[in-house]
Amino acid sequence: MYAFGYHRPTTIDEAVTLLGQSEDASAIAGGQTLLQSLKQRLAQPGELVDLGAIKELSGIAVDGRTVVIGALTKHNEVALSSEVRKAVPALADLAGAIGDHQVRNVGTIGGSVANSDPAADYPAAVLGLGATVETNQRRIAADDFFIDLFETALEPGELIKAIHFPVPKRAAYVKFAQPASRYALAGVMVAETGDGVRLAVTGAGACAFRVPAMEQALAGDFSADAIKGVQVDADELNDDIHGTPAYRAHLVNVLARRAVEAAR
Amino acid sequence: MGEPTTKIGGSTRRSEDKRFLTGQGRYTDDINMAGQTYACFVRSPHAHARINSIDTSMARDADGVLAVFTGEDLANDGIGGLPCGWQIHDVSGEPMAEPPHPLLAQGKARYVGDHVAVVIAETKQQARDAAELVDVDYDMLDAVISPAKALESGQPLVHDEVPDNRCYTWELGDSGAADEAFERAHHVTSLDLVNNRLIPNALEPRAAVASYSPGEDHYTLYTTSQNPHLARLLLSAFVLNLPEHKVRVVSPDVGGGFGSKIYPYAEEATLTWASKKIGRPIKWTAERVESFLSDAHGRDHVTRAEMALDTDGRFIGMRVDTKANLGAYLSTFASAVPTILYATLLAGQYTTPAIHARVTAVFTHTAPVDAYRGAGRPEATYVVERLVSQAARDMGLSQAEIRRRNFIPTDAFPYQTPVALNYDVGDYDATLTRAEELADVAGFEGRREEAQKRGKYRGIGYSTYIEACGLAPSNIAGALGARAGLYEAGEVRLHPTGKVTVFTGSHSHGQGHETTFAQIVSDRLGIPFDDVDVVHGDTDRSAFGMGTYGSRSLAVGGSAIVKAMDKIIDKSRRIAAHMLEAAEADIEYDDGTFRVAGTDKSLSMAEVAFSAYVPHNYPLEQLEPGLDESAFYDPTNFTYPAGSHICEVEVDPDTGRVEIVNFTAVDDFGNVINPMIVEGQVHGGLAQGIGQALLEGAVYDAESGQLITGTYMDYTMPRADDLPSFRVDTCNTPCTHNPLGVKGCGEAGAIGSPPAVIDAIIDALRPLGVTDLEMPATPLRVWQAIQDAQGRQVA
Amino acid sequence: MELQQERQLPLPRDTVWDALNDPEVLKACIPGCESFDRVDDNAYEAAVKAKVGPVNARFKGKVTLTDLNPPASYSMSFQGQGGQAGFVKGSADVTLTDTEGGCTVGSTAKAQLGGKLAQLGSRLIDGAARKTANEFFDNFVEYMGGSGEPGETAGETAAATVDSAATAPARSQAWVWAAVGAGVVGVILAFALL
Repeated sequence: MYAFGYHRPTTIDEAVTLLGQSEDASAIAGGQTLLQSLKQRLAQPGELVDLGAIKELSGIAVDGRTVVIGALTKHNEVALSSEVRKAVPALADLAGAIGDHQVRNVGTIGGSVANSDPAADYPAAVLGLGATVETNQRRIAADDFFIDLFETALEPGELIKAIHFPVPKRAAYVKFAQPASRYALAGVMVAETGDGVRLAVTGAGACAFRVPAMEQALAGDFSADAIKGVQVDADELNDDIHGTPAYRAHLVNVLARRAVEAAR
Repeated sequence: MGEPTTKIGGSTRRSEDKRFLTGQGRYTDDINMAGQTYACFVRSPHAHARINSIDTSMARDADGVLAVFTGEDLANDGIGGLPCGWQIHDVSGEPMAEPPHPLLAQGKARYVGDHVAVVIAETKQQARDAAELVDVDYDMLDAVISPAKALESGQPLVHDEVPDNRCYTWELGDSGAADEAFERAHHVTSLDLVNNRLIPNALEPRAAVASYSPGEDHYTLYTTSQNPHLARLLLSAFVLNLPEHKVRVVSPDVGGGFGSKIYPYAEEATLTWASKKIGRPIKWTAERVESFLSDAHGRDHVTRAEMALDTDGRFIGMRVDTKANLGAYLSTFASAVPTILYATLLAGQYTTPAIHARVTAVFTHTAPVDAYRGAGRPEATYVVERLVSQAARDMGLSQAEIRRRNFIPTDAFPYQTPVALNYDVGDYDATLTRAEELADVAGFEGRREEAQKRGKYRGIGYSTYIEACGLAPSNIAGALGARAGLYEAGEVRLHPTGKVTVFTGSHSHGQGHETTFAQIVSDRLGIPFDDVDVVHGDTDRSAFGMGTYGSRSLAVGGSAIVKAMDKIIDKSRRIAAHMLEAAEADIEYDDGTFRVAGTDKSLSMAEVAFSAYVPHNYPLEQLEPGLDESAFYDPTNFTYPAGSHICEVEVDPDTGRVEIVNFTAVDDFGNVINPMIVEGQVHGGLAQGIGQALLEGAVYDAESGQLITGTYMDYTMPRADDLPSFRVDTCNTPCTHNPLGVKGCGEAGAIGSPPAVIDAIIDALRPLGVTDLEMPATPLRVWQAIQDAQGRQVA
Repeated sequence: MELQQERQLPLPRDTVWDALNDPEVLKACIPGCESFDRVDDNAYEAAVKAKVGPVNARFKGKVTLTDLNPPASYSMSFQGQGGQAGFVKGSADVTLTDTEGGCTVGSTAKAQLGGKLAQLGSRLIDGAARKTANEFFDNFVEYMGGSGEPGETAGETAAATVDSAATAPARSQAWVWAAVGAGVVGVILAFALL
């Protein structure tokens, strides 16, 4: 990697100030994507602002209606939290299937959501469960958060503080892992909530997206059969050596049905 | 597993594992020398490009940079290229095309990752920084990746002096007899097969530390080699023109090789040369991306294969036409892999009387291809076993039945195949019977029906493979084009205290030689296992060696050690006779004890050793003092491990995902020294074979020649959860021609398993109309095959 | 890699043509474009800072035009160097056609990516190219729509326009700039990789 300045602030304000002081400063949370880019010399931030020492960014709080997860909470902390498992088992399952143990012990929910990798798992949870992203400036509804490939509604200097997940009636996340990377070739989070059914897809498009046609079909009849004939349009889906757009579109339907069957 | 004794046949715990598991291993990158500098290689980002100029001035001026060298600097010093160790002759009678393989590109870059320049600096970081400042002016040229396409006229040439990119066309077998068999065949089974290109991916990447001592005019090279003596020989005699006795090559602990570390590479040769130029030691350790780009890849064949059968399902003829991708340059054994190590195995375990193979080896703008676990034999097994399994389906015979009808019977050994090899011994029916039992083939239909109820398609696939190991009889290899001998050297040194050091020319990089060889010595000399130390990997310590590959270490290296021990026992018997005041003929030897026949007078091996070093009561007139013997062993034949693999899969038709639910391997490895290590070798081989069948595949962009699978994001390595708990057993017939009766086990898993996996999937998907499937059978590929088959059925 | 892009613009073809005539428009609208210069009759150089997720790379690109058929279509070849990141090389065919309510710009680009971008980023190449093209046209429509400020680059554009005014091509050469404009779309299609 190229040389860079390293900072380890202990408060959000300090972090924001540091990030604002340099044009090419970059925040680092768990670093599971950024470190690889640095090692390959494909990213060259002048300053690296490590958020790891900001205590208020970590932790899990569950009340009857909401699970609040601090941005710096690690995947394994979510996966192994008995409170999360009790309130939203689908979320604990999802976190427990990210990468491997090394990744889960370092990678963070805030880092994953802010990065918005097209194949990351967490965006499906944020969007599928209808979560709210709390930043140092505002609250952003999931539907407004994911914009495009690696692009979110976050503005420069805006940091995720926590993600608020409303507890669904039932939900499930089913992913089909890309064989090499084990990222989601496609992944589907389905949730029956107080406000209806939400169904979000990751891995298949530029960023996580909802499938309204499936949601509508499931609102009337929450069963796998209800969406058997509902296909997503392959045109805009990702294409690589592991999956053609047509295959991904097919997988979305298969996984959506499996998720509906698994929802609890 | 055998009893936990330290004798032959015991599953002794691996003594080397303690240091590996506690972080005490010493690998090349752990070696640091005073004044050490670091090298970074500038590599071509282009698959094919003319190098107009290389401006190194900015790099030279960068912080910490000691030197920047290009191909021109090497040429000015008269440094040669990397040699190929095996000369194949074209059907025309001419030798194969052997274009130069420079250490650093001369005028052209021929694959992505080709070495263009080297930067040497005080720190690794400085070397990398400066490497970015080397300004290479390239003219990008069109590249050709597919071997079939490369042979067409008008395609870009990898080497201007090699027309049609054809290195050679080579034939084996009687084409007339084969054609005649096809003319009278009742049925012909034909297949077009692709043996996918693999990237080796040893856990430890390649590395080297080179230094030069002007006081002694002596070079030392630490490197991740599977055969340090061969590396020294080739470096000194062919590449750098150095006096062999002034070069020491050390391969310390090496973390896996699988063939990819047999070959001398450009990096260590360049470092050795440059260490004298700059007067400082130089270290280089590959990054993983460099490994992907520049380690020799494996396999990459495209084959048209046909089998002729009579009305009873007996094989009467076989024809094979293979195009083998050699990559951009000839690596050390590249020419032998698709010929000598491939076509000679096309008889398989069968009595097929007429076989003809034609192999065209082709240069392309890709990384060099060479031996990778199995080397030629997996490719042959894939051709033979896919044909046999398809023929069974065509003829309506069971997989076991068609094989049994064609097996070489046990009373036919030694058996001369029509493709040059002479099998010494085997019992193919025994391994198949045991494998069917262990795999519970009888219960398969029930399991298939049960799976069907769960919406899964279950299938079973067979592979009854054979391999030629224990490379190799030097005279035969020489007649076939080898430019080196293929014997092995061993030395057994008893110390005055009765402890033993064994020096071997074999190299252990995961195989467990320190345990297996110590067991042999402990068993033969009656010396406690813990009192035996095995030394390998250092040209200054072991007399000579041809290294480890081709499942040869035990059969050839182990035999050399046995020969040395025979000399030790011979001499000890004479010493004992003198000490016991008995006639030599009256001395009986058993398990480390010399006894005067019919008496209780005896001496232990340790007592004899002490006497040999403190020769106060010693036959000095007849014998020299000391007890240290060495031997070279050159085998009289290859060894022929063989076995039966049965794979059972479940396919999810909705996703195309294949799960291996059972995998049974019953092998004939000859005598087994350490069953636990053998089982471990089988497990590893199976993982790699299953990896090839289901997961791994190097993908180059067909137009640009870029390696698309350049990281673990896209190149799929097999992981523990991709594999079932293997059912492994052996049915052994001892090898008839080496003193241990051993055959070798390192490659079997990778050789036998791929066709079993693919045929299991084809068997599973037959109800859906799928008849063929290419490796790797990724979920996408399987799903697509189902879609295509369904589309055909609808149409 | 082959990329096909088609974008319907709510603008008359002539307007689009004229706008693409102005290199400063292009510089303002191409995501991450840092410079855009004519170096020869049919050859242009552009510098683009491509950023996809955590990865960023600075590309210097050359565009050469061929088969000019103003104002409807032309072809181009392009290549760009991104240092450590790798390189891009390719060609594109571009068409402008009248459609209801405006016009449609179509581009079929064939690109070869090399170096680390190809080795590491293959899964993202198509998506990144699509995203960049969309951003370009979004910026373009916004710019043309008179809402004024297509992001931060607008300020720089104003300053740079003075320079380009001095060397501005005659009206009769409008097609050249149009071609280059679309050409750079081709380049960024290919640039926008990892």
